[in-house]
Amino acid sequence: MIPRSHPRLRPHTRCPTPAAVGGRHSVLVRLALLTGVALLVLAASGGFANAADDGFSAPAPAASGPIRSIRKYAVPAVRLVRDDGKVVSLPDEMNDGRPIVLNFIFTTCSSICPLMSSVFAQFERRLAADADKVHLMSISTDPEQDTPGRLREYARKFHAGLEWQHYTGTLAASITAQRAFDVYRGGKMSHTAVTLMRAAPGKPWLRIEGFVRPDDLVRDYRELLAAR
Amino acid sequence: MSAWRLALAACVLAGLALPGHANAATADSVGRSIYLRGVLGSGAPLEGTREAGVVTTGADAACVNCHQRSGFGSVEGGLSIPPVVGEYLFHSRAQDPSEPVLPHVESLHGNRDPYTDATLARAIREGLDSQGRPLSYLMPRFALSDEDMAALVEYLKKLSVRRVPGVTDTVLHFATIVTPDADPLKRRGMLDVLEQFFVQKNLFPLKPSPRMLTSGKTQYSKSMYMANRHWQLHVWELTGPAASWRAQLDKHLAAEPVYAVLSGLAGSNWAPVHEFCEQSAIPCLFPNVEVPVIAERDFYPMYFSKGVLLEAQLIARTILGADNHPAAGAVEQVYRAGDSGEPAAEALAAQLKGHGVTVHSTVLAAGAQGHGVTAALRRTALRKDARGRALVLWLRPADIAALGDVPAGAATVYLSGLMGGLEKSPLPAGWREHTLMTYPFDVPDRRGVRLDYPLGWFSFRHIPVVAEQVQTDTYLACSLLADVLNRMADNFVRPYLIEQLQALLEHRLITGYYPHLTLASNQRFASKGGYVVHFRDPGNTALVAEGDWIVP
Repeated sequence: MIPRSHPRLRPHTRCPTPAAVGGRHSVLVRLALLTGVALLVLAASGGFANAADDGFSAPAPAASGPIRSIRKYAVPAVRLVRDDGKVVSLPDEMNDGRPIVLNFIFTTCSSICPLMSSVFAQFERRLAADADKVHLMSISTDPEQDTPGRLREYARKFHAGLEWQHYTGTLAASITAQRAFDVYRGGKMSHTAVTLMRAAPGKPWLRIEGFVRPDDLVRDYRELLAAR
Repeated sequence: MSAWRLALAACVLAGLALPGHANAATADSVGRSIYLRGVLGSGAPLEGTREAGVVTTGADAACVNCHQRSGFGSVEGGLSIPPVVGEYLFHSRAQDPSEPVLPHVESLHGNRDPYTDATLARAIREGLDSQGRPLSYLMPRFALSDEDMAALVEYLKKLSVRRVPGVTDTVLHFATIVTPDADPLKRRGMLDVLEQFFVQKNLFPLKPSPRMLTSGKTQYSKSMYMANRHWQLHVWELTGPAASWRAQLDKHLAAEPVYAVLSGLAGSNWAPVHEFCEQSAIPCLFPNVEVPVIAERDFYPMYFSKGVLLEAQLIARTILGADNHPAAGAVEQVYRAGDSGEPAAEALAAQLKGHGVTVHSTVLAAGAQGHGVTAALRRTALRKDARGRALVLWLRPADIAALGDVPAGAATVYLSGLMGGLEKSPLPAGWREHTLMTYPFDVPDRRGVRLDYPLGWFSFRHIPVVAEQVQTDTYLACSLLADVLNRMADNFVRPYLIEQLQALLEHRLITGYYPHLTLASNQRFASKGGYVVHFRDPGNTALVAEGDWIVP
């Protein structure tokens, strides 16, 4: 059972207070969660079966923090086009052994996407020497507009490092990827801020719903790796 | 980009170069420049800081990114970015029956006290609302000087929901614009659709709307005024040379102020109309044009597609291949002087430049459709070995029909579907086997279901289908406008119309000839790709796509 004192990690519930955001948890609890105990609990409660109906699309109150949950996703075998123009398979891009940090953006989104990309940029910078061990992935939710050239321009704007790639492709491929990670909300304008993280192939994903500070993202990342 | 930067610099300099000018004018331009461009009164970039030190500067920090040009904000996913139009910021929550009601805005955060100048400055500097509660993490904190703050607040106060030209209490005025070189058959087809749409729109009984009084909150989400406003169409037919069109348009607008330009039809030149709309700040929605103006920084003109310029991109993509290894060493383009093929051929030549492809053009005399094509082709066929050549035809059906049994003199022929009549193109049988046609729409067997509704609508209203694609695009433009105006209630600010179209378009299911449509801020072309197809048999109109939908 997940202790009540760790609301931040309770799946499918909101943090009751802003104070819970970024609260620290014992490594044990995290280990348990990240290595599958949480999955059993979730499976027993039917959480995965109707993940799309769990209310995540509801607007988050301004003062609430991000919501973290542990999820299992099947990476779909879609072909995407990387920002260097190369056609790649999504599973191959994700299964090169490096931990993944993933988000979904589009380049003409003027409100939340630039903020999410700034967070990725700061995350990269804060990892410093460790940055080359991670793979940051941003998949476009407006792939017809976001040609590889436009993605490169966008990446340059955020000073994306070598370990951060942007992906486009057909609209169908993008939607398949969005659905697989439960971020598809019927169109790019209905998107929500979601960051996903996985320590290694086959491991569950940490899903962070809402705005996450770069420092917290770094902490989440280090803890995820420590629990690997 | 650099031209835009220059223009920006010029604006800033113009603001600075008038030291003796009235303060009000300077403050006005400073407020505007902070809001729209993220440039402070000093010329330095605006800088905003979000939670945890995430910094945003200059154009990226400008208010317009989130609050939009209209100031009405937006709703994106779970986040609603509230309006910052003065009337909404300073609106009283008190129940004052004498106060006029403000139109409903989806993103309004009504649950707060009205702002004052001081609390608004605090919101911008410290991120606290009128009651001292923290604003969303999306709202940066801006360290503005007192002068810059005053200029910005003044600017917000001037953003307004009222006094929109072309909108009266009972009538919404729209114009459609036809250039003198427009195809007469398409013109008739388009006007039939527009006129019938307006007739239908005005069938509702017109009764005076009850004057709604305020409760301090907006109480309605569907427009009550809309149903009672008559839609009036003004057909502006331009005459004479293109250089005189702007003056004609200005004169039309002065005589008949309109809220927006809807649909329209051009021959090969729409640029003067595009410029008129942008400079007069009038939405110019989805005209039937083969050669639109590609200026993604402009705000008011919107198009369904890039037309022949998209076809040029599709041909370039096919010739160059995904790996930029040209499939042809030489490209021969054929077009008529002054027709849409001319800018299309220029666009294709520009895209092939630097890839080791030799590009020649054969220009046929203006007019005289159907004449001179075969002679010109015979000459070009002698030029070089056919194996390394591609022939690109930017021709109308009459010229295509005249191709007869002339040898193409090229391994592959590319044909503009848009100019050549799509699947109904009269391409002679001998040409069909080695001709690829650009097709900037969904292919016929897949779009059928999306055409059922408009075609049924035409049939029911006895509108002859003389130019199916132009007529269904016109119907689509009208119905998109009607849908969006319904969503906007009686909030007619022109930039808001553009913003709502950009936000809502992707949810549209009946998209006529297009597989899907999508826009967003800074997007002007709703359909972004096309197919390259070939005829399946020499004897009928069946098409086979060469591959997937291509977005060049």
